[in-house]
Amino acid sequence: MLTESTSADLSLLGLMQLVSPALPIGAFAWSQGLESAFELGWVTNEAELGEWLEGVLEDGLTRCELPLLIRLQTAWANSDANALAEWNDWLHATRETAELSDEDTRLGLALVRLLTSLELMPKDGLMPRDPGYVTVFAWAAHQRHVQVRQTLLGFAWAWMENQLAVACKALPLGHTAAQRLTEQLRPSLVKAVDAAQVLEDDALGPVLPGLALASAHHETQYSRLFRS
Amino acid sequence: MTIYTPIAQPLSPDALSKTAPANDSGHRFDAGRRWAASIELGFESRSEQLHTVTRLTRRRHQGPLRVQRPFYPEGKTGCCHVYLLHPPGGLVSGDALHIAAHVGAGAHTLLTTPAAAKLYKADSHGVAWGQHTHLTVAKGATLEWLPQETLAFDGSRGEQTTTIDLEDDARCIGWEILALGRPVGDLPFVSGHLEQRFRLTRNGRPLWQERQPMDPKHPRFKGKWGQGGASVQATLWAVGLDDEAGAVEALREAIPAFVRWAVTRRRGVLLLRYLGNERNEAWALCQQAWEILRPRLTGQQAHIPRIWLT
Repeated sequence: MLTESTSADLSLLGLMQLVSPALPIGAFAWSQGLESAFELGWVTNEAELGEWLEGVLEDGLTRCELPLLIRLQTAWANSDANALAEWNDWLHATRETAELSDEDTRLGLALVRLLTSLELMPKDGLMPRDPGYVTVFAWAAHQRHVQVRQTLLGFAWAWMENQLAVACKALPLGHTAAQRLTEQLRPSLVKAVDAAQVLEDDALGPVLPGLALASAHHETQYSRLFRS
Repeated sequence: MTIYTPIAQPLSPDALSKTAPANDSGHRFDAGRRWAASIELGFESRSEQLHTVTRLTRRRHQGPLRVQRPFYPEGKTGCCHVYLLHPPGGLVSGDALHIAAHVGAGAHTLLTTPAAAKLYKADSHGVAWGQHTHLTVAKGATLEWLPQETLAFDGSRGEQTTTIDLEDDARCIGWEILALGRPVGDLPFVSGHLEQRFRLTRNGRPLWQERQPMDPKHPRFKGKWGQGGASVQATLWAVGLDDEAGAVEALREAIPAFVRWAVTRRRGVLLLRYLGNERNEAWALCQQAWEILRPRLTGQQAHIPRIWLT
């Protein structure tokens, strides 16, 4: 029988399933402050969106989610309960606003529910009690024998697709323009993963003060399509 | 010219100790030089003649960091106000300030400073300074950490860390206000590197952490996701509020909405952020927020430290 421990093909398909917009965890409902950046007039066109996404990729994902995926997937591989709990706490503590914290918590719980239905949850009680999305994502990748670097590429890809989908709905951005930005950002995703892989613990932590301000404004935004 | 006290012994590891150990004489001007000052304060709640009084029970200092005699402007059983003095008034290359304060169970302390702290241009070796604050608050205790703003001049290099460790139901409200460049005269912050780090824990678990590197040559310095070109920034935190949602509402009602500030609450920590260009605007915002939050946090009306008015 084909299993992920022996078939790299099956692992790759498992990663594609995990990062697909069809994964029923409701990721499409969250914009990570982007909707607020539109409302504030900070991002008004394709070029500004490209700059915003490059910035968030370098100062956010590269310093936070991506290096944390490395640490968490390694912790899953080692069944290291302390490391799992500590990095999960670390992630929660870095969430800048109510909505960014909420997004992470709710996506994490939605993914736990899905994995539970599929009987793919860890059996050893290692899942932290209050797991963030990144922590659960790292488990799912580990469970499917996805190589760590591929986990990071997949996670970054899913982030970019979701942000572009937000822009298509709310800016609005044309679908061809979204593909142009995908072409622009693809090499940046690779560079982000390269950079994330060499960061020491002391260098971690997102640096997104403008995004944090925008996200807090979103809480009182009059008309909105997204939950963050 | 300010006279610095050379340190007597090498400090514990810090961001500055990249080269040889400090020279005891202090008379060196290369990359290895360091001048340190530290202060360690302890506050305790004591029963005295049927009253509970917060006393400054521990005060150890080394180098130019001092406190004045505590004030009790809110009455003998009220909050203990203490002014933290750094007579040089600013940090230059090689300076290392360590500030530690412990507020014991049930005590209530307000710490502030008499003037803005200045961060001067780094010397020709680009040597950094460091300021490290470690605050611990025991159960039932309250700490208000309300220093006046920090002014970072062009070319300044250094790291400022604030670590707050809370026990059980301890409460803390505080802020850091940072202005880049000279407020008067057109001398913007175009070179140098600063980093602010915050870390707040309760019973050892992190509740909130944030880092803010300021590098005027990095795209985020102007980019909207980052600093957005702001030359003044402020972060106010409050932790231990009984009704966080109500506190957020009260702030939004009382303070006119504008794009340069916003408030949120996450995981038991209320956070108010400002990104703009006016020191006075940032200060007024933080002071007004403190006046609204203090009664909700401590049951006491805000009592403006007199030193702010001079």
